[in-house]
Amino acid sequence: MMKINFSGLEPTAPLQGEPSELFDGISNSPSFAIPNTTNFDGFQKEAIQMVKPAKGTTTLAFIFKGGVMVAADSRASMGGYISSQSVKKIIEINPYMLGTMAGGAADCQFWHRNLGIKCRLHELANKRRISVTGASKLLANILYSYRGMGLSVGTMIAGWDEKGPGLYYVDSEGGRLKGNRFSVGSGSPYAYGVLDNGYRYDLSVEEAAELARRAIYHATFRDGASGGVASVYHVGPDGWKKLSGDDVGELHYHYYPAEVAAVDHEMTEVPVA
Amino acid sequence: MSRRYDSRTTIFSPEGRLYQVEYAMEAIGNAGSAIGILSKDGVVLVGEKKVTSKLLQTSTSSEKMYKIDDHVACAVAGIMSDANILINTARVQAQRYTFAYQEPMPVEQLVQSLCDTKQGYTQFGGLRPFGVSFLFAGWDKNYGFQLYMSDPSGNYGGWKAAAIGANNQAAQSILKQDYKDDITREEAVQLALKVLSKTMDSTSLTSEKLELAEVFLSNGKVKYQACSPDALNKMLVNAGLTQPATEES
Amino acid sequence: MECVFGMVGNGFSLVVADSSAVHSILVHKSNEDKIMILDSHKLMGASGEAGDRAQFTEYVQKNVALYQFRNGIPLTTAAAANFTRGELATALRKNPYMVNIILAGYDKETGPSLYYIDYIATLHKVDKAAFGYGSYFSLAMMDRHYRKDMTVEEAVDLADKCILEIRSRLVVAPPNFVIKIVDKDGAREYAWRESVKDAPVSTS
Repeated sequence: MMKINFSGLEPTAPLQGEPSELFDGISNSPSFAIPNTTNFDGFQKEAIQMVKPAKGTTTLAFIFKGGVMVAADSRASMGGYISSQSVKKIIEINPYMLGTMAGGAADCQFWHRNLGIKCRLHELANKRRISVTGASKLLANILYSYRGMGLSVGTMIAGWDEKGPGLYYVDSEGGRLKGNRFSVGSGSPYAYGVLDNGYRYDLSVEEAAELARRAIYHATFRDGASGGVASVYHVGPDGWKKLSGDDVGELHYHYYPAEVAAVDHEMTEVPVA
Repeated sequence: MSRRYDSRTTIFSPEGRLYQVEYAMEAIGNAGSAIGILSKDGVVLVGEKKVTSKLLQTSTSSEKMYKIDDHVACAVAGIMSDANILINTARVQAQRYTFAYQEPMPVEQLVQSLCDTKQGYTQFGGLRPFGVSFLFAGWDKNYGFQLYMSDPSGNYGGWKAAAIGANNQAAQSILKQDYKDDITREEAVQLALKVLSKTMDSTSLTSEKLELAEVFLSNGKVKYQACSPDALNKMLVNAGLTQPATEES
Repeated sequence: MECVFGMVGNGFSLVVADSSAVHSILVHKSNEDKIMILDSHKLMGASGEAGDRAQFTEYVQKNVALYQFRNGIPLTTAAAANFTRGELATALRKNPYMVNIILAGYDKETGPSLYYIDYIATLHKVDKAAFGYGSYFSLAMMDRHYRKDMTVEEAVDLADKCILEIRSRLVVAPPNFVIKIVDKDGAREYAWRESVKDAPVSTS
């Protein structure tokens, strides 16, 4: 005896292929479009590669005498298209801790907010603020558990805790490095060039801020994926404070004022005879 | 009066007792006894066999002595079907350890893992505790020769000389009197046989009612040796614990 | 690129590792310690993907510590090596750890020992071992100059020879190295070999 297969009528049956426009909204079974490809693994890999290595950004942070200086540009791009010139790439985790954003904006924002929650819960449970070491390890462990699943995060966790200033680099490959000076993103080689050259431990807050700003500016000058505004934050014993946010275009003319060009032929008025 | 508290293993009585566990220990008190003695050059295990029959094929399986791994053996008192389960888990544990670390499992860890299993049955619902006590004899590179005793509650401890099963308290007190710290393996065998001859019901000891096994080092390797009935009989005659079997030969 | 190597001498084992944290063309850090002290008498030098390296060595370290807490006795170096191999082998067909390990230890009964463990869970007990691009140079160097009865000074001399060769012949040579030693007195850092120093920081 043959049985008729009704499984296609079940509301939980997965829809295959692209949902037809006709039935959109009628069928309430959860479904999503499946790419029209025979090589799904390859497609997934490509999709991951599309968002992964770009990190079209310049962010930097360094520890110095006065605490930690954190700076970033503000451009968001998708390939050659600039999708925003006013992105907040420095994420305020709590009044004493900042995170920087490079890679997938959504991934960074989501996991930093998540980290913010975990840090606050730690504070409530232990009656003291979490250390930068602890917070960065928390984030690194989460990212490590999602490794190979397409997350794209390259971040620095900077803050001030009981031991003083702290700075860690954390990424979605599970890497976590403690250090005094980091830069992340496609503009980072340029930023490192300026930063390494101008860095001293005993910089004053003003000097450090200027170094950070200048490093971001030079990175935006050479890196097409970086631009917009150079924001500079300082984290000291009393928490973080935003010091500046300058349009890099204006910064350019501030650093290199327009010169009056020598004109080959000047038009002179010929006196009327 | 307190019938309500002995029907389930996992419930304490108002006096703070677990009756089922105590009953399990009671069951072992009626089983064939076993004695273990630690000496400086080895460990001796002697057991009393309860099942004796002319029809029983004794050579194919031992009743009380089991080898767990190359370096650990045990003597059993209690319900044998329960013991078989535990012996199997112990053997598996020992092999798992060797698989992970490529070296023999330390004796105490083996005992502990088995006792964890036993303990589980005194706590988790609807189950009956194992009615088995063990004597473990073994050697490892950390602590040399060792003797452990465990009961149905999952308790265990290291001993110089210990007894389980019927009449174990009497045996224990003789051991306490006669044990010396620098005892040799040979003396330990003599002592164990002597103790059993006093605590067992039967008038004369024979190899039919006894099992003897030793764990010792030979050429730097751990060796487990179960005594053959003939050798055991000779030993008993020498110790003056039985009459030479003249009428038979 | 990464260079980790080690050797067994007379009464001690020695492990050397570069200390660069690299992402594509960028050196993020040049004082990253890649040799973990597993317990009082064990060293674990590791190379491989940054996340896996840190995560896996820490996992092994915590398990070795747990064993010691539970059982009151430490794992032997051989047991720790076989445990590590087992963990890599079980992970291999699920989500493999991309780490290569040189495990050095000292045991009372067996003396110093060195184990080569790669990411596909191969385990070898060896006198000398190396991983990474530096291995081509350091292996040749050790094959030529290694002796079983080397003193600490002689072994460090040989390690320095390897480091010098790596620095002068390897295109992508890392600037800095750590040397750690384990002997009857325990596992410890022996020296750093730095040709690039990070700007000094007074606080940390």
